[in-house]
Amino acid sequence: MSKPTVASLHQALRKSFKSLENNQKVWKSALVECSPLMESLGNLAEQSRALSNVQISNTPLRDFPDLEDRLRFKLLQATDTVLGKLNEKMSSLQSARDAISNQVCAVLQLYEQNTDSLDVLTVTERSATTPSIADMLEWLQDAERHYRQQFLRRKTLLQMLRADNLSLLESAPKRWKTLESPSAEDCITDTIYKVSFFMESQ
Amino acid sequence: MDGVSGDIMVTSTNRKCSAVTGSARKIKDNAADWHNLMLRWEKLNEDGFNVAAYIVNMRLSQNSQLQLVDQSSSLSSASAAPAAPAVGAAELQDECCKLQDVVDKMVTVVKKMEQLMTSQRGIQDLEEFQFGPEGRKCPLFHTWNTKQFKLLSGVLWEAFSQELKLKQTILQELAHTETSDLCMVYLSCWLHQPFIPPQIRLTLESVLLETGHRPL
Repeated sequence: MSKPTVASLHQALRKSFKSLENNQKVWKSALVECSPLMESLGNLAEQSRALSNVQISNTPLRDFPDLEDRLRFKLLQATDTVLGKLNEKMSSLQSARDAISNQVCAVLQLYEQNTDSLDVLTVTERSATTPSIADMLEWLQDAERHYRQQFLRRKTLLQMLRADNLSLLESAPKRWKTLESPSAEDCITDTIYKVSFFMESQ
Repeated sequence: MDGVSGDIMVTSTNRKCSAVTGSARKIKDNAADWHNLMLRWEKLNEDGFNVAAYIVNMRLSQNSQLQLVDQSSSLSSASAAPAAPAVGAAELQDECCKLQDVVDKMVTVVKKMEQLMTSQRGIQDLEEFQFGPEGRKCPLFHTWNTKQFKLLSGVLWEAFSQELKLKQTILQELAHTETSDLCMVYLSCWLHQPFIPPQIRLTLESVLLETGHRPL
């Protein structure tokens, strides 16, 4: 009696994993492009710090009275450009996250609508090629949570930055790096391998 | 491309057979020269920055090496200590010469810019002589009068000559600087060119647009 339900649920799961696989690539490439930008952000902060540490009037640069202001302006401008580019990358990350979230939500909704016709046995039944529905739903939710948290953490890091708070800017690249969680990413890659036979079976 | 007003028609046909003559010809050529000189400057700036960064890194690593040598010689006798700085010094000299070379080329660029500015002023003087203090009645190109060209070339030259002075100061001081902060400031000055305002590119583009190098 639950055969058509299972089939449609399987179809929705396939679609979700496909989307997860694609968006994982989008996410990874956007993140790779972020690292040089973060580096230059830290570098610009270092330059601003050096400028603050130096008393221009005590250096050979004293003949250029408005040098400090001008250089500071240029540094701020460069920082602004880098932040603008980072913002673009954040949009790509956000769209990857949204795509994953939407797919996972849809498949969960489908499952919840059909819980009456799905008994425990059906939901936990698995074979050599097809993992159980319960497992697959769990994996999808884990992946979705990972990207949601990752995005929020990175977004928060960027939003905390202030042009006048050099130490925050300086430490940003390091903190950005610590947000990396290769184990969670590997977990998602594993999941995609685990469902590869299921994805191929139609 | 067909202009509505008469002026644009004239310039667009002129552009095709490049029959601009007299002051207009001169101003148009000057605009092209400005463009090329500024590109050349950018290239030199990039080359110079690489050399300058290398010098700074060398100085900083030398300093830390010297400190290490000091520490080790106080503990025991350091064998390779005297030879190392000599090798470093020769290399440092080489790099400084390279930087000197870049700055010399920049001097040439700025000299050429000055010539452009003088020639622009000459055109302005000529117009005043020909048409009186008001200048010519109808513009040479689209809307600008000769005075605006003169003013803008003045602005451009002012920025680059000031930047050149800064570069010359950096050249003299860079290899003698002990503190890493000051080295960093020199490098960021070299890279970000504080005396060349960001709108200078816009200024140049407007000149190119006005003289018809860029299509309207």
